[in-house]
Amino acid sequence: MPQYRTQGKIIADILATARDMNTDGQGVGITTLLRRGNVSYTRMTKLIVELVGAGLLLEETMEKASKYRISDKGIQFLQAYVQFEDFAQSYGLRL
Amino acid sequence: MFENALQFVGAFVAFSIALVAYKGVRETSSSSMLRLAGAFVFLGAGFALQGLDGVGAFGSIPGFGVSIDTILIAGMFLQTIGYFLLAFSHVLDVVVSRRLGPLLILFPVLAVGTTSVETVLRSLSFYFILYGVLETALSYGKTRNPNTLLIASGLGMLAAGWWVSLAAPDIGLLTLLQLLMREVGLVALFVPVLKFRFRRPGDMLNAPV
Repeated sequence: MPQYRTQGKIIADILATARDMNTDGQGVGITTLLRRGNVSYTRMTKLIVELVGAGLLLEETMEKASKYRISDKGIQFLQAYVQFEDFAQSYGLRL
Repeated sequence: MFENALQFVGAFVAFSIALVAYKGVRETSSSSMLRLAGAFVFLGAGFALQGLDGVGAFGSIPGFGVSIDTILIAGMFLQTIGYFLLAFSHVLDVVVSRRLGPLLILFPVLAVGTTSVETVLRSLSFYFILYGVLETALSYGKTRNPNTLLIASGLGMLAAGWWVSLAAPDIGLLTLLQLLMREVGLVALFVPVLKFRFRRPGDMLNAPV
């Protein structure tokens, strides 16, 4: 039986990618987010708009494309997510 | 006396878990956390009602004309709802399997053969806990999270305690045994709350997601 990711898990994966793959400090492109986030382009663009709107991701428009960095609020969300994911898993549930 | 203390310990544990789960709802908007919080609020209310009834709290309220049996049954009813919500959370969670879902309906049908309301509620609670044990154990098989095994064991102890109380309700030594089993089960359920409380925020900055 396939294990579908919840919306929260997908968001956490995107934020974690933006945090972990931002090696040069300039942010990550949508291609990296797509590859690591494992969702379709259409869905990813919608999610990015929501995450930027919620202040979890910071968008920086470059010459050719936008780059994304995780915000402090995004880091806080990830911290909470990891903590509550472990808590839910303890009771045999998914967050 | 020991049973009353157990009810208050149960209320404390249940409300603590509900509080953490509610915090989870606020921070992550997770429906799993909402169901968990709801289940443990009902469980906590059930434990508290039975504990207060046991120490005679309702007898001291002037004009409170509800009999002890009614309050006890109300407490048991709330607990049964709590255990049902806990079991139902697993049915909604696609991570394990929806194939076990029908068991949740089948078990109560088997319980409604008895005449006493108290026995029916005890049987239902037992079945719901047992279902929770099964799902949590299956979940451990997938995640290998030690806490999940602990909770499955705790629920198993609770279920065993309920079973002893159903099989031998008024035998002194067995009554003590079932109370001890339920106490150990409740303590096991409380462990993730302790872990949650004592974790430092900085520990998770680089945690894998």
